[in-house]
Amino acid sequence: MSDLLRHISTSCFGASYLLAFGCELARTRWPLPSLRWAALVLGGIGLFTHSVFLAVHHPSPAAAYGATLAVAWVLAVFYLYGSLHAPRRAWAVFVLPMVLGLVALAVFAVSPADKTVVLGDKLWAALHGVLVLLAAVGVSVGCIASVMYLIQSDRLRRKRPPLGRMNLLSLERLEAMNRRAVNAAFPLLTLGLLLGGVLLRQYHGLADNWLSLKVLGTVGLWGVFGVLLYLRYSATVSGRRLAWLTIGTFGLMLAVLLAAHPFANEPRAQASGAPTEGSP
Amino acid sequence: MNLRAIGCNFRTAAVELREKLAFDAPKQEAAVKALAVGDGCEAVLLSTCNRVELYVSRPLGAAPFDLAAAATFLAGVHGVPADRVRPLLYEHADDHAVRHLSRVSASLDSLIVGEGQIAGQVKQAFELAQSLGTTGPLLNTLFPHALRVAKRVRTETGIAHGHISVSSVAVDYVRQVFDHFHDKTVLVIGAGKMARLTLKHLQELNPKRILVTNRSPAKAEEVAAGCGGTAVPWEQLDSALAEADIALSTTGANEPIMPRPRFERHVRPKRHGSTLVVLDIAVPRDFDPLIHDGDRVFVFNIDDLTRVREKTLGTRRKHVAPAEAIVDAEVKRFTDDWKRRKSGPVIKELFGEADRVRAEVLAPLMTKLNGKLTPQEREAIEIAFRQFQNKLLHGPIAALKDAAPHDAGEVTLLEAVRKLFNLRG
Repeated sequence: MSDLLRHISTSCFGASYLLAFGCELARTRWPLPSLRWAALVLGGIGLFTHSVFLAVHHPSPAAAYGATLAVAWVLAVFYLYGSLHAPRRAWAVFVLPMVLGLVALAVFAVSPADKTVVLGDKLWAALHGVLVLLAAVGVSVGCIASVMYLIQSDRLRRKRPPLGRMNLLSLERLEAMNRRAVNAAFPLLTLGLLLGGVLLRQYHGLADNWLSLKVLGTVGLWGVFGVLLYLRYSATVSGRRLAWLTIGTFGLMLAVLLAAHPFANEPRAQASGAPTEGSP
Repeated sequence: MNLRAIGCNFRTAAVELREKLAFDAPKQEAAVKALAVGDGCEAVLLSTCNRVELYVSRPLGAAPFDLAAAATFLAGVHGVPADRVRPLLYEHADDHAVRHLSRVSASLDSLIVGEGQIAGQVKQAFELAQSLGTTGPLLNTLFPHALRVAKRVRTETGIAHGHISVSSVAVDYVRQVFDHFHDKTVLVIGAGKMARLTLKHLQELNPKRILVTNRSPAKAEEVAAGCGGTAVPWEQLDSALAEADIALSTTGANEPIMPRPRFERHVRPKRHGSTLVVLDIAVPRDFDPLIHDGDRVFVFNIDDLTRVREKTLGTRRKHVAPAEAIVDAEVKRFTDDWKRRKSGPVIKELFGEADRVRAEVLAPLMTKLNGKLTPQEREAIEIAFRQFQNKLLHGPIAALKDAAPHDAGEVTLLEAVRKLFNLRG
């Protein structure tokens, strides 16, 4: 049995999510109950195999590979929850492409060298990874809400029939979803960054690494977050602009997530005796 | 089956005549009871503002309930001459009656195709008849089946998608912008008839408060009193609009009451970026359409709402053919199942009779051969008799099963089998 589970690969859950997405897309044209059930079953299989994969291989959430797969897993849970509780909303059509995109990025865009990360103290490193991961989930949810907001707003701007084939949430709900996601992500990202900075200084020497793309990008991301929050609460900015900015933040987050860790497989850290985080 | 669906609808009878033939609840109860008891049949009476229909099933072999009987019955109940009623009536028999009920329930025979009320009305009519004991095996199977067909049509096609009335479409737009209404302010500008209807729909959303403004303070007070709102002086229109989340405008003004410069100068700056939905159902329009920015201010006027209504109707029409296909398939399934159900008991009886005869013949034979046969030989003889019986019955049973789904000769064949094999049935 454990051998069988060990054979589950990213292709298994990637294919399941892809088929579920196909069914969900078809459902926007032909609203058949059978398509809904097929999508739910395929999505459920995808989530199960995804969970088994993470449990068996436990890729490090601090590394790009593990982080993208973990964010994809959380979003897949959101997808199934949303599809079960609000079957008439076109929730899946927006969440599943992001899940698929993250799985594809993990498989095709992450260099094998970045699958192993040395982060220093194991407990603090794990906490840093989880905080950044949760912030990434927040930004991803904000991005999904923003894409839905832009489509819904465009429909209303053009005065398209209110109950079209794709049943979306109201603008107010989408804006609230975006706001909550970003509000929750900002403190998590701040804490994660502070912890990362301390670990970097303690185990790897901040002076050597602060100019790396990853560190600079992360600091930039934090700055963009600050701007996003400022615009939301201290200036009168249109909902569409905020949505575009959130999508931009998500893009930056992906770039940061995929950038090679400055201390991936770093011989100096290994020599110093720091423990190694996840090696799938 | 011996089923008839007889009645009149908006196509065959003018509204004045439909009104005369319509049943209120007590009258409907008395009528359906009188029809079933007096005629010794199963009966359901469907009465809506667009149709009055009788679904009557008599026992097989009895003369079917016909147009003349229906006309006499309706004329008697309503005190209208039967010869005035009869030309308004249409009649559907057996499979066609099943099809008609399915189409009616699925709203394919409605004035507005896809409207959602009719399935509920069919259900009510059936439940009333059931509670009065005027339904039997056929109607107890047929009506739930027709309601299932209606559900299939609604869920598997887009025939019921969207709203048709202008006020419902207006509220649909509001729901696309706002999620909850307990903290929202509705501003009613003017006091037209259309506004009251739309306001009724908006009131169902339970907004936090309703403000009403009108050039005539008395009219504003009147509308405010009717909806539990607060009257606001006409001079404070700008500030009331700055506070509102939803504005419903329906004045009789000849010029727009809110041109764009006025809105941009006196209203937008006070709103601090909050969202406003304007439902401008006045003709001529009250709000300059250029105020609509599609981000923070949404203006929907009567043309926009009517366009959606027409589009929805057009979309529904596209779904009629798939819906009819579902109805056809379901009608065939129902009639086939029903006919099989009728032949099932005869087949069972035939087997029972053959078993009885076999046992009757076999028992004396076994007594006669007692002691001369080994247990294996006894078993071989019993098996041979059973095989003989099965082979003999195979032909008649296959003929009954084959005949079941078709109309012609069904009753005759069932009766012939009963007579040939001496079944009591």
